[in-house]
Amino acid sequence: MIDSFAELAPAILVGLPILAAAFPLLLGRLWTRIGWWISLVTTLAMTGIAAVLAYSVHVNDAVHHHLGGFAPPIGIELVADALSVWFAFLIAATATVVLAYTYQGGPRGRAFSSVYLLLIGGLMGIALTGDLFNLFVFLEITGIAAYSLIAARQHRDAAYAALKYLIIGTVGATLYLIGVAYLFMATGSLNMVDVSASLAGGGSADIGVPLYDEMLVRAAFAFIFAGLATKVALFPVHSWQPDAYSEAPDAVTVILSALVSTVAAYALIRVTFTVFTPAFFEVTPAATTAIVTLGVVSALVGSILAVLQSRIKRMIAYSSVAQFGLVVAAIGVATGPIPAEFALAGAIIHLIGHAIMKGGIFAAAGAIAASTGARTVQEYAALARRRPGLAACVAVLGFALVGVPPSIGFIGKWYIALGAVESEMWLVAVVVFISTLLTLGYVARLLERMYFILPEDAPSAVVTDGGDGVSIGMLLVVVLAVALTVVLGFLGGPLFELVDPYIQEVLHG
Amino acid sequence: MTDALFAIPPWVPVLVATALIMVLPRKLGYALGLLSLGWVVAYSLIVPAGQVEAVFLGFDTVPLQVDEFSRLLGVGFGVLGSAAVLYAYAVGARRRLGAFALGYVAATLAVCFSGDWLTLIFAYEAMALASTLLIWEFGGRAVRRGYRYALWHVIGGSLVLLAVMWHVAETGTLAFESTGLSSGMPLLLGVIGLGVNLGFVGLHTWLPDAYPAPHIAASVFLSVFTTKSAAYVLYRALPEADGAIIVAYMGGLMAVYGVVYALLQHDMRALLSYHIVAQVGYMTAGIGIGTSLALSGAMAHVFNNILYKALLFMAVGIIIYRTDTEDLYELGGLWRQMPITAGAFAIGALSIAAFPGFNGFVSKNMVMDAALYEGHELLWLLLLVGGLGTFLSFIKLGYYAFLHGPATTTVRDATPLQSIAMVSIAGLCVLLGLLPGLLLDLVPAAPADTSVYTVSNLVKGIGLAVAGVVGFFIVRPTLAGFGHIPDIDRLLHPGGFYLGKGLVYLVTGIFAIVDRFVAGVAAWSYRFGADPAGELTTLFERIPDDSWLASLSPAEHGDSTAHLRADIGRTMLILTALVTVVLLLVLF
Repeated sequence: MIDSFAELAPAILVGLPILAAAFPLLLGRLWTRIGWWISLVTTLAMTGIAAVLAYSVHVNDAVHHHLGGFAPPIGIELVADALSVWFAFLIAATATVVLAYTYQGGPRGRAFSSVYLLLIGGLMGIALTGDLFNLFVFLEITGIAAYSLIAARQHRDAAYAALKYLIIGTVGATLYLIGVAYLFMATGSLNMVDVSASLAGGGSADIGVPLYDEMLVRAAFAFIFAGLATKVALFPVHSWQPDAYSEAPDAVTVILSALVSTVAAYALIRVTFTVFTPAFFEVTPAATTAIVTLGVVSALVGSILAVLQSRIKRMIAYSSVAQFGLVVAAIGVATGPIPAEFALAGAIIHLIGHAIMKGGIFAAAGAIAASTGARTVQEYAALARRRPGLAACVAVLGFALVGVPPSIGFIGKWYIALGAVESEMWLVAVVVFISTLLTLGYVARLLERMYFILPEDAPSAVVTDGGDGVSIGMLLVVVLAVALTVVLGFLGGPLFELVDPYIQEVLHG
Repeated sequence: MTDALFAIPPWVPVLVATALIMVLPRKLGYALGLLSLGWVVAYSLIVPAGQVEAVFLGFDTVPLQVDEFSRLLGVGFGVLGSAAVLYAYAVGARRRLGAFALGYVAATLAVCFSGDWLTLIFAYEAMALASTLLIWEFGGRAVRRGYRYALWHVIGGSLVLLAVMWHVAETGTLAFESTGLSSGMPLLLGVIGLGVNLGFVGLHTWLPDAYPAPHIAASVFLSVFTTKSAAYVLYRALPEADGAIIVAYMGGLMAVYGVVYALLQHDMRALLSYHIVAQVGYMTAGIGIGTSLALSGAMAHVFNNILYKALLFMAVGIIIYRTDTEDLYELGGLWRQMPITAGAFAIGALSIAAFPGFNGFVSKNMVMDAALYEGHELLWLLLLVGGLGTFLSFIKLGYYAFLHGPATTTVRDATPLQSIAMVSIAGLCVLLGLLPGLLLDLVPAAPADTSVYTVSNLVKGIGLAVAGVVGFFIVRPTLAGFGHIPDIDRLLHPGGFYLGKGLVYLVTGIFAIVDRFVAGVAAWSYRFGADPAGELTTLFERIPDDSWLASLSPAEHGDSTAHLRADIGRTMLILTALVTVVLLLVLF
């Protein structure tokens, strides 16, 4: 029973939110709150389906769904394997939880609900698709939904941020598309597995010799990598991201920071290991150099820029630039000459962990802003006295971000560092360490403000809204993130086991 | 079902009892502790040999390994632990003492049931921590001595940790190897680090310093776990079948050194503590010789020593409990008032002195025979002298406490519960002495034809006893004339103090220099942290205007967000540059 259901599940997961996106617009005229309820029902259903699918994949095997019954390489397939199901579940679960935040925290309205569902559908598509061109389509759906969600704040800065994101994001997606076109020229195929086989000399192209050396293939990698790096927001092409995160409505920032760049990084892992495979990097070591260099630079510069910020949301946004730098550096390490299972596991675990921690911090920042109006480091002075619970949550999540055990942040960084040492890329190991110190730099600034400034020393410029705008839903999101961050910190081994099948498959055939 | 039950390490229930004893009523808590240790005995006897493997932080570890060594130690520590818990309850120990003691027992069991170096070192350090707490629990004089104890064990534990890390770096595996720790520095550091726990001569001063200090029940626990588990770890650290004869001679030296100082003590528990040094000397000698007879003798001696050394501490503890006197020369004639305690003491003393028919006789002679077979006559002689000294000092202890003169005070004997604890252990000492086969079945690597009841050993045992009695009455007047004879701690403690003081001066001197620099940096960092952009502006203002850096300068002072944003156009330029660079890199 579960098997036949699992066969269909990928299509439902992608199709359901996109279909459901139509209903808030249609029915919203009748009852304004219906959009929220439709979103809730949809995301809850998706979470359940994703959980069943994840279980089925974990117990049995990867599920391949051929859309419309057309078999690849001609048709488009959706693939739920040991990697993609976890991201599918992360997307569905996060989408559900963030709804709790928006119930009172807003934004509300039927347009918001429709676009929100569209965003989730796009993200889900990126996670589950097994087709390179299809991936581009979902990148665009995700992008367009994200642009409009940012603009939902209806403020000129938000409009500018959305426009900036739109232009840069579209150019990034286009670069990716150019790369895909090159691959299509080289292999005549768009299906990921088939392209991968064709590059190795087999597949539907069946040329007989590996194509890794072809200029077309190398150029394809360069374009795809640059395109996805833009989507992930690595330094120096990150510039859309701090604006987008800090200008978007608070709830939107939570979902953006938790999922959008995360899924782009997932796409990078997918393309790097499933399509190009380590064999490509063996022939083209410069590609590894490019990935590691960009990751390392991003990790360092992102952290430094984060230290320099005084607005909370911008600071956390720059921190994302740094954390994604670490993830990408780990991806690069895993493509190196010495296969590093721990590095790839670290990249995946840190990606998921970062989604939880960052989502939690942004939710906490939103709740704090709603209750006290504080949005800058200055205004966080003596917050521990006014909002002890929220301040404690920020502290725990901050420490987790630094990598203090027991926390998911520690597990991710630990595996990345272990992988770097294992494959003798000492530079990356050193950068993990330095970036940890820099992270401590900006987290410590926050903690110092919150805990060690007496109320009388606090600047009186703190704006208070008067009323308390914090809802149970907001707190729920924060507390859930804190609990997950700490609990998962004890489960380093099991987490590794969950992604191990995928790692074995791509690193050791 | 049973497999799942067996996969739970035996120390887990003890840890649970540790937590529960703090919150439950005293009687119930101690009963649970007793129960958990009973389970340890049962577990050790019935569980089939095997391993449980786990990945911890990317290392392949074996948190649970059941083999003949863990079985033997599990039974020994479990039996004695149960008796000690009963004893602690019977002498009115508090719940907190029970909790620390059970935690200490759990850590020791984790050492014995661990299957790799990482788990072992974790448990080893936990053991040092728990035992320090157990000493501190008594408060008063125990605090200062506990501090010294902690210092010794931090140093020893760190050396072992360093040795293990070095070993893992060289071999790449955490597993126990039959070759022990890699030769060279890891082995040397490991043996010296373990030497602290074993009480190597020169590293032993914490034993007579700390063990007489705490509660009498704490002493019973302390006398058993730290030193005996270290003997087991020493076996893991040394290369098998090869041994290390220098370690064996250290054991011989410990045997002589320990009894000589024991003979000179007034404080009963200090006397017993010096005997720990001597007794662990026999174990060290056996492990150092390394033949199967020596090794099995050493492990059997570990087991026997667990029993009689704790028994002696219990008996002496009862004397202190009843008379409130620690000084031997202030006691006397107690056998009339305390016949049970006197009887228990007698059995313990005869066992430790290796009188035929008591368990010490079996294992001590196995080690001594092994020394003789291997041609280490000098070592044999050292151990023989140790044996004579043991007789002498226990005749002294027994004579002054129980026989000498009339009773100084009127006291009652042990309570029924206390008696049960002592009598059960005393019974085991006799049983294992008369039927050595019972124990030798449990002992790893015991040669099938082990027989210690030879004519020469019997003659030696009785001869030493006679020589001890005669010798004691010859040297007694001289002994009584000695005051306190300084041990090496007279040198070590001031040495450590002045070394520490010198280091403090050195460090504070350097620190003062560093401090000025760091304070400057910190002050700047603090200003920077509070207002990064403002500080940057100040910094940039020092840059000449025509420098390109000046163009990065934050626009307005005051709004403290650094205006380093790239607009859309500039981002496009950067993106193009990035694509170009990656293309160039990948294509050429």
